[in-house]
Amino acid sequence: MFVSLLLVGSSLAAPQLAMEAASQTIVDGSPAGVATGVNRIVGGIISYARWPADLPRAPRTMCVAGTPQLTDHIAPAVPGGHSIAVRRLSAPANGSGCDILFLGRMPVADRQRLIAWVRGRPVLTITDDDPGCSFGAMFCLRARAPGVSFSVNLDAIGRGPLRIDPRVLQIGSDGDAS
Amino acid sequence: MTRPLAPRSPARPAAHTTLQKLLSRFHFGITLFAVALSGVAILLAGITTLRSYADRNMELATRVGAYGAEPALVFNDPEAAREGLDPLRRIPGIARLRVLDHRGRPLYEWQSPKGDPSPVLTSLFFPQPFSTPIRRNGSVIGRIEIWGDSSTLIDYVRIGALAGLGCLLVTALGTIILARRFEYELVKPLGEIATVAHDVRLHRRFDKRVQPLRIAELDRLGGDINALLDELQGWQGHMESENAVLAHRASHDMLTALPNRAAFDEQLAARIENAARRDGRFALLFIDADNFKAANDNHGHAAGDAVLVALSARIKETLRTGDFAARIGGDEFVVIVDPLDEGAGAEAIAARIRQIAAQPVALPGGADYRLAISVGAAVYPDDGGDAAGLLTAADTAMYADKLTNRSQKRQAET
Repeated sequence: MFVSLLLVGSSLAAPQLAMEAASQTIVDGSPAGVATGVNRIVGGIISYARWPADLPRAPRTMCVAGTPQLTDHIAPAVPGGHSIAVRRLSAPANGSGCDILFLGRMPVADRQRLIAWVRGRPVLTITDDDPGCSFGAMFCLRARAPGVSFSVNLDAIGRGPLRIDPRVLQIGSDGDAS
Repeated sequence: MTRPLAPRSPARPAAHTTLQKLLSRFHFGITLFAVALSGVAILLAGITTLRSYADRNMELATRVGAYGAEPALVFNDPEAAREGLDPLRRIPGIARLRVLDHRGRPLYEWQSPKGDPSPVLTSLFFPQPFSTPIRRNGSVIGRIEIWGDSSTLIDYVRIGALAGLGCLLVTALGTIILARRFEYELVKPLGEIATVAHDVRLHRRFDKRVQPLRIAELDRLGGDINALLDELQGWQGHMESENAVLAHRASHDMLTALPNRAAFDEQLAARIENAARRDGRFALLFIDADNFKAANDNHGHAAGDAVLVALSARIKETLRTGDFAARIGGDEFVVIVDPLDEGAGAEAIAARIRQIAAQPVALPGGADYRLAISVGAAVYPDDGGDAAGLLTAADTAMYADKLTNRSQKRQAET
């Protein structure tokens, strides 16, 4: 209830007011462990996202823009779901053909353009270069001992037609919104 | 009047119990059986229902838990599992929760801080944990296990035990009330019948009857007993009158209805004893018909009988209240004049009897007959102190009188 109110309310507010990070997936500290954790979280987020019904069904395409900070091996592990096609984004300012945008480190202008392009489109945005989760991506990953965690930007989610399972929102919002 | 008691039946062994006790015992047994049967049936039905509800409750809990723990398993996040299972930790009846990942490693585990009120009940109802796999897009990503405890069942069991106890109490009360009713309805009428039978046997009160009773069988029994009593009363009355007749016959003369010799002997002894005690006097008159044999011979036995009856009737007429007359032989009569007044001596009474007897007697044939009697008197204690002495004195005086009469008659004839 409160979450939906926040969704409505924050859609008009500034992006800086997004929700704070919460969830944490326990992994071992090795690069491979971190990669597993990242892919697991990304896959989990994808599995809880619902694209509008008029779109062709899976497989979804994931486009990686910029340089991922947590791991080089972006290969989302969707539990029991279809595999995700991963490709690099060719044009830095146009995400057409992508269902999921993974935003690594990139110029601020490019990122703002991509965020602006996503607005209103059924595209899931995930970043690993925004610990405060205030730049407009829907999900923000970050490394935090002893694992990888994610937080949710409810404003960003509220702006798009994608539907996210509330349980994920609850996990991503640290429980203090519920 | 005493009758020999009917021969007693051989001694009966003492009864061990009363009908009322027997009935109430039977009734209590039947009621207890019924209550126990229905109680067991209700208990079994209750346990089955309770068990199915408890199972369903736990299944629902595991489903809720599976739903809540699913994202936690996806993200491998124990904190998320804790939050997702928060609703389950708050409801009573769950002792332990565990979320396992797809490799069987526990992701999250929780144990209720509250103790189990009844481990026996728990082991009865929840011998093993409820478990359901957690799926994501069709593949199993983990499993949730929930152990129930008895905290929700214990109330039901307590209420059930209380209700059972109440039922038993009501049963006991009802049995007592019904037993009292039995006493009133069945034992009391039986007691009435027994009382009547007892009264009749012990006090010979054949006029007692059993009152009409409400229960048909007992009423019939009472009616039969009443009919039996009617017959007994009839026999008793018949026997009494028969006895009276026999007793009268034994002490009275058939023809004249005067007491006989045996009655006279008894009476004389009693009078002597009485007079001796009171220092009194009485007279004994001996009367004999002079020409009775002639009447018999000349006019027949019927005439003789008529003469005797007439004589006895006349003797009776002269008697006062305390006097006593008897026929002690064929034509011999005695009269006890008691008490003997100082004024009127024995001779005066003898003279009066003689005079009355001299009236003509109408014989059955139509003829008149003139009877003559001889009377002898003896006075107690002047002429004799005992029965034999008095009788002898009176007899002697009578013979003297007879002789005088004969000589007078002869003189009159000559």
